[in-house]
Amino acid sequence: MRLPRLFRTSSFRLTLMYAALTGVSFLLLFGVVLWATTRFMERQIDGTVSSEIAEILADPDSATPAGPRATLGQLTRHSGDFYYLLQDPAGNVLAGNLPATDPVVGTREWGGEAMHKRQPFAALRGRGVAVPAGYLFVGLSTIQLHEMEEMVTGSFLWGASAAMLLALAGGAAMSVRLLHKIESVSQTSRDIVDADLQRRIPLSNSGDEFDHLAVSLNAMLDRIQSLMEGMHQVTTDIAHDLRTPLTRLRQRLELAQRPGVDSDTLRATLDATRSEVDGILEIFSALLRIAQIESGARKAAFATVNVSDLLRTVLEVYRPALDDKQQQLRETIERDLMVEGDRELLMQLFANLLENATRHSPVGSAVAVVARLCAATVEVSVSDNGPGIPEALRSKVLQRFFRLETSRTTPGSGLGLSLVAAVATLHEARLELSDNGPGLRVTVFLRNRS
Amino acid sequence: MRILVVEDDGETASYVLQGLHEAGHSVAVAADGRDGLFRAAGEEWDLLIVDRRLPGLDGLAMVRTLRGGGVDTPVLFLTTLGGIDDRVDGLNAGADDYLVKPFAFAELGARVAALGRRPHRTAAETRLKVADLEIDLLARTVRRGAELLDLQPREFRLLEYLVRHVDQVVTRTMLLENVWDFHFDPHTNVVETHISRLRGKLDRGHAVPLIHTVRGAGYCLRAPA
Repeated sequence: MRLPRLFRTSSFRLTLMYAALTGVSFLLLFGVVLWATTRFMERQIDGTVSSEIAEILADPDSATPAGPRATLGQLTRHSGDFYYLLQDPAGNVLAGNLPATDPVVGTREWGGEAMHKRQPFAALRGRGVAVPAGYLFVGLSTIQLHEMEEMVTGSFLWGASAAMLLALAGGAAMSVRLLHKIESVSQTSRDIVDADLQRRIPLSNSGDEFDHLAVSLNAMLDRIQSLMEGMHQVTTDIAHDLRTPLTRLRQRLELAQRPGVDSDTLRATLDATRSEVDGILEIFSALLRIAQIESGARKAAFATVNVSDLLRTVLEVYRPALDDKQQQLRETIERDLMVEGDRELLMQLFANLLENATRHSPVGSAVAVVARLCAATVEVSVSDNGPGIPEALRSKVLQRFFRLETSRTTPGSGLGLSLVAAVATLHEARLELSDNGPGLRVTVFLRNRS
Repeated sequence: MRILVVEDDGETASYVLQGLHEAGHSVAVAADGRDGLFRAAGEEWDLLIVDRRLPGLDGLAMVRTLRGGGVDTPVLFLTTLGGIDDRVDGLNAGADDYLVKPFAFAELGARVAALGRRPHRTAAETRLKVADLEIDLLARTVRRGAELLDLQPREFRLLEYLVRHVDQVVTRTMLLENVWDFHFDPHTNVVETHISRLRGKLDRGHAVPLIHTVRGAGYCLRAPA
């Protein structure tokens, strides 16, 4: 099952193509080399033969009708590499160690048998010239040429087969490796489909493109998981937290249904019921808003926002409310702090923080708002002198519906800070809750845009 | 006013119908988008109240078609889609106001009244007058009688909004949206504190107050009878 898959991989197909290319290029190279070496050796033979002929013709005998019979006889005996033939016009061999042939003038290849004593030859290459005695041929054996050709062909064959085999083996190995890596990605996705959302694609830590892919995919999975968990949490929270007001509602209605209830009580019950329902609806819209923010869809509408101006607007809205509680507002806002974001949501973030500050801190205390540029970060902090939040609970207050026991009695849905957290996350801003000694300081770290 | 309500939910439709009828409007109901579009374009209306999710033709598409066809009757969207983008989409399609379900009838009534007045406003107003109150929109000064009032910029905007809607009830939400650009509900009584401050500057020392609180609905700036 594994093998056929291997052959179907795109990397294996690439390998096959690569191997074929290697083969073709080897063939081309082989042709060129063979042609060049053959030409070179032929030219060498031709040169040697020409000088030999020139030497023979320089012999005074050559001009006689009898020809250089004696010279050839000597040469045949002593210089072993050459083949000679001198024949008269009738075709009778006068001297030399070759049989009679057609008197072809010029360079010629001569295949066939020869009566050479020492070595057999496959073919001769040489030149024929007309002399007064008839026809003279001097040639050299091409056996070396042929040997060389055979050797070149042989080594090329070996080389080409080895290269192609190597290419195929390398390709197969690469395919197996790729297949293995991709298989681990597929396996992880299958596991996730089978509801194991915790799984992540393993990294090889080599920093290669597969690791990059795995990192991106894992980041995507993290996001999906956090969204799923968020959704799961919301569902559970809603079920838990709406049960309380709904139970109260039901009890009120049941009491109102008892016989003998006068119309004033009924009216009062209706009023109370309506405000209870309004409260529930408000929780719903807050939840919807948080869910919408968390979905990240608002990111498309991000624009440059002047945080300084935005803060001043929000402060202006809340100033009378703070004045009413005789709370002192200390603001230190640097000019023109710019961030990339959603104006409306950032406005709500700051409004919620300010609202929490004024609501949870006592009459006559101070609320401080500081906005400043710190390196590439716009830091906005809102601090109060209220009861603060114990360190252990600081991360919990960002969750939906979480309320400190001490604030159970004050109005509010317990969703204010979760909305702040959601907006901060959307803006990739860090949210820090710290001790203001006494009181709470909430700091938002937004990325500066200037 | 002649009002067409395009709403497919029968219960909501009759709730709106009854309330508007009691407020003295003449109201008709269309139950789907196609019918709504047909009637909105074919008859004379002062206001259209349109649900966004409608069978037949989506409310957004219906309003876009109307605006494309040159019908500029004021439109108020009524919808369960309360998202930020939904509101922007609605207003972009050519709606004049947007109210998220569930709503108190007082809220709808106030917004209907506000929309009904819109066409009568002239574009180049520089001065607004109610009784002895006078606002100079260019110089941004406010006088009550002979007295020059010292208002903060936001108080000026608040007063301007109230004066533009003189004799009409404006709700807390309408003020939040139009004066402060707050599209969410702060739990702290920001509107109340601002109104009481403005009242202090405007009505202190005068026998007849101009700003009135309408219980269970909102506020109203009224000239003394």
